[in-house]
Amino acid sequence: MSFHKIRCLIIDDDPFIRELLQDKLDQYFPDINVLSSVSSGKKGIEEITKHKPELIFLDVEMADMTGFEMLSQLSKINFQTIFITSYSHYAIKAIRFNALDYLLKPIDLGELKGAVKRFKTYTNKGTQHVNLSLALKNIANKNVGDHLLNLKTQDGNLRLVLNDIVHIEGDRNYSYIYLKNGTKKLVTKTLMQLEELLDSKGFYRCHKSHIVNAKHITSYLNGNLIKLSESLNIPVSRRKKKHFFDWYTAYQNASQ
Amino acid sequence: MHWNTKIINPQDLINIARGDHKIIYKYLIQFQELIPQRIHSLKAHLKAEDRKQVRQLLHQMSPQIQFFGINDLVNPIRRLELEYETMPIEELCTLVETVIIKLNLALKDVHLAINENF
Repeated sequence: MSFHKIRCLIIDDDPFIRELLQDKLDQYFPDINVLSSVSSGKKGIEEITKHKPELIFLDVEMADMTGFEMLSQLSKINFQTIFITSYSHYAIKAIRFNALDYLLKPIDLGELKGAVKRFKTYTNKGTQHVNLSLALKNIANKNVGDHLLNLKTQDGNLRLVLNDIVHIEGDRNYSYIYLKNGTKKLVTKTLMQLEELLDSKGFYRCHKSHIVNAKHITSYLNGNLIKLSESLNIPVSRRKKKHFFDWYTAYQNASQ
Repeated sequence: MHWNTKIINPQDLINIARGDHKIIYKYLIQFQELIPQRIHSLKAHLKAEDRKQVRQLLHQMSPQIQFFGINDLVNPIRRLELEYETMPIEELCTLVETVIIKLNLALKDVHLAINENF
């Protein structure tokens, strides 16, 4: 009896990682067929065009180009991507922000199984294609405030421009996102998860229950309250006063 | 198989091989080929005081070093990767030289493992 094998490519400039991933896929995933394993972004583009894979394992940082640069050179992306990177790589933030799938080197078998399982779940749903095209747009856009954040809500996916977010309030396993048009959205992420995603993007967690967007701060009152509008003040926790003041001063200086 | 190693821990290697000695041999040979090239490049970048290239190379070597269980090198490499721009150059040189010494010891381990088993 024949069964469908997932057509897959490995693109990584480290020969050790290519061997390791190929061996793990061969040994533990009989339904994955590695069609080719190449060492550069340029060869990756050629192999994608030739083989039309369903799944690629793509190194974030290669000698000739980054994985994102390689993807942006393709006219159409109709495969799913699992990025491969190291724990300390600066791109991890971009990968997490854009909700993309990734594996840390050297590849852990449990994580690989999880990523392949997610690939099978995503197939035909198009979620990952949306996230990837969003990621490429965000990475190409130098203005962080215009970056799009894709979040899950109870009703489906929510896509927000960062500049539109005024502040966020945590509510146990959920968070309320307050937008500049006066509405609020409930998302299925904790405040801590959002704090991590929004790090270095002009947002600050000033209190155990609040994150503020510096862009919408109108003033900082008596070292206790952040004024976001005529009627909206957000408290700053006592232990964060000094740090917030330094952070906000640096933000203002950088914005001038 | 006989493992008389001092620096490397072959556990991940044994796990991936699942009893297939050819796989173990493949990774040992690859280590023996890649690491001297990378040590050579590391020395050249160090001589040129090219911090970015030093970081880049260590970043690339790191997964193989972890896979071979060279735990002594995990923290120094992590520090070099994170602090390569700010660390005083003398400290960076000392740390990279320590990494090179340990890698040479690991190479001896790998050489011995190949000689004793294949």
